[in-house]
Amino acid sequence: MADIVRKKAVSVEGPSVRERLQAMDDSAVVTAFLGGEERAFSELVTRYQTRLLNFVYRTIGDREKAEDLVQEVFIRVYRHLHRFDRSKKFSTWVYTIASNLAKNELRNRSRNPLVLFQAVQKNFEDDDRPLQFEDTTSRPDDMYRKRHLREIVEESVAKLPEHHRNVFVLRELEGKSYEEIAEITECNLGTVKSRLNRARNSFAEIIAPYVD
Amino acid sequence: MDCREFCDQHVAFVDDTLAGIELVRMQRHLAECESCAKHDAKIRRALLLFRNLPSIELSAGFSQRLEARLRECDSDHLLAVTQRNLRRGAIAATLASAVMLGYIGTTLYHHTDAPRDLVMAPVVATMPEPELTPITTSTPAIVASVSAGLTIWPAALFAEQAPVRFAHSRLELTNYTR
Repeated sequence: MADIVRKKAVSVEGPSVRERLQAMDDSAVVTAFLGGEERAFSELVTRYQTRLLNFVYRTIGDREKAEDLVQEVFIRVYRHLHRFDRSKKFSTWVYTIASNLAKNELRNRSRNPLVLFQAVQKNFEDDDRPLQFEDTTSRPDDMYRKRHLREIVEESVAKLPEHHRNVFVLRELEGKSYEEIAEITECNLGTVKSRLNRARNSFAEIIAPYVD
Repeated sequence: MDCREFCDQHVAFVDDTLAGIELVRMQRHLAECESCAKHDAKIRRALLLFRNLPSIELSAGFSQRLEARLRECDSDHLLAVTQRNLRRGAIAATLASAVMLGYIGTTLYHHTDAPRDLVMAPVVATMPEPELTPITTSTPAIVASVSAGLTIWPAALFAEQAPVRFAHSRLELTNYTR
């Protein structure tokens, strides 16, 4: 691959390359990658993998599939980074790819009634779940209550309509601005605010009986 | 501010993106309206729960799998580039062959035409007109020889050519008289 040859040829030498890459903003890392520094791509993966996994997982509710989709996001980024308009934010572009893949997954799933969001979430065995939500110093009944609460929150999010959930996750979990969400979801600003308002109200309504 | 306006502005209020005056108006309404205060608290509490959901961590083999897929992607890309180049080569070869065949065809076509081009305009062969030596009675040599009393050769020659001369003179005379 000519690109790889080029990348290797222009590779930045030195022991502190990773540190330098870590200190750069996304745009500079992208430029470094396109300039031939292959380690820059690993830096981008490191920066976004967990965030994207959480975003996709909260959108589709299937952890394994979410990992597959995140991998697909990086494959697409790797293939098409040279086409990326560098006047725009890299994170917005990455989230747009992830959002579109998640949307496609939900669309495909809706055509197959056997796989539902809630059903997929139920398949996520308790033993496989990370326990960060629980405080290990707590009493077992507290841990159970917290785990139960977490399930309730996840189920409540899952009950939101897909287009509301997407906006909701981008705002509440990823902290994206309204403008970025508008760009990612390809909606206008008014639609984003309206969807976010509805999503918040719906979520609060769904979860209220469990937390009151 | 009424409750409807409060609800409309609530998204921006929660996200703290309201302008100063609007923010003050919202806060004032919140202090005055119990229903809106409850609504605000309900939303904020729900959001707090959601924002505090634990982060999902990547599985152990994620990086290895991604690396493998990227390598695969590279080799696929390489294969695609090679195939594309081969296709381009084949197309170029076909075009070159077509050009060559065209050239050969044109050459052959013109080759059959070539003699036609080289053929000179038809020439009608004609016998050159027999040029008669314009010997007149006043030929300087004869005049000179006669007057000088030289040898009789000029006279002999004259006598020899006499029939022709007479005929020629007659012809000239005829031409003049016509």
